[in-house]
Amino acid sequence: MPDKMLFGAILPQQADWYILGPILGAITVLFFLAMNQPLGASGAYIHTMNYVRRSGDSVTWRVWYFVGIAFGGFVVTQFLQDAKGLRTGFDSFRNAAPLWIMVPALFIGGILIGYGAKLGGGCTSGHGICGTAQRSKSSIAATVTFMTSAIIATGFIRLISGGKL
Amino acid sequence: MNRFSANIIGLAFGAMFGGVLAAGSLHEYDTIHNMLKLEEFYVFGFMGSAVIIATLGLGILESRDTETSFGGTIALQRSDIKANHLKGGAIFGSGWAIAGTCPAPVLVMLTSGVFLSLIVIAGIFIGLSLANKQVAGFGDGEHRLTNQVGKRA
Repeated sequence: MPDKMLFGAILPQQADWYILGPILGAITVLFFLAMNQPLGASGAYIHTMNYVRRSGDSVTWRVWYFVGIAFGGFVVTQFLQDAKGLRTGFDSFRNAAPLWIMVPALFIGGILIGYGAKLGGGCTSGHGICGTAQRSKSSIAATVTFMTSAIIATGFIRLISGGKL
Repeated sequence: MNRFSANIIGLAFGAMFGGVLAAGSLHEYDTIHNMLKLEEFYVFGFMGSAVIIATLGLGILESRDTETSFGGTIALQRSDIKANHLKGGAIFGSGWAIAGTCPAPVLVMLTSGVFLSLIVIAGIFIGLSLANKQVAGFGDGEHRLTNQVGKRA
């Protein structure tokens, strides 16, 4: 990787939250202003899955939304961001656990994410941001629940990894 | 609105969302894990400020009965708490903690070049389809599927 990237790095590795958070809030509002709909990621997964399987309800713009998330991430991480010391991915997990533990753990983690999102009707974006911003009781309850559960589960992970994670 | 412009809007908003997540390194395991260890404030600040701005903005749109561009008069969707919200939330949270990522950031993780994220993405699809057999429909916001443009029967 050359020191200077193609367009030069115009974004730091991690821009300040007090800039990005309000931008994300504004994106949520703008999307309501256009489509009168919340922007949830797990919904986009469901529509994409139905689209590929050619069964069930599928709204094509949600499939494009799914593609868009990956595309936006690609542009920023590959072309706009200062990549030095970045791209850690799952490195700290990898350093704390052998591959035969990590791979099944990631798979089970993914299944729990998908199952829980479908059962609970949303994930971090749909409930956590769009739902709470609509002041929906169910979203606020779901958000408090998954935050609490994730913090407790992380405590367990620290415990069983002997503090390595 | 035709289907083409709906798709362009979907793609554009997806790209903006993915771009913002990437700019905050929310696709990195460490970012999420450090938040859940309560060692870093970053993600709490990120989500909290997004919610505050969106709550204010949506509140203003609602109080003025704003006409949206393509979806009629603004209609925020609110629903009461059911057991599934709590069960689903608890399950989702434990998966979030194990994988250190969630449905949108994991897509950014993939395009940032971390191919192990494919395992998580595969798991998410499997988890969604497993629960599909138990729960019909999805979420607060997508009950209105039939009203949406670009629906494929």
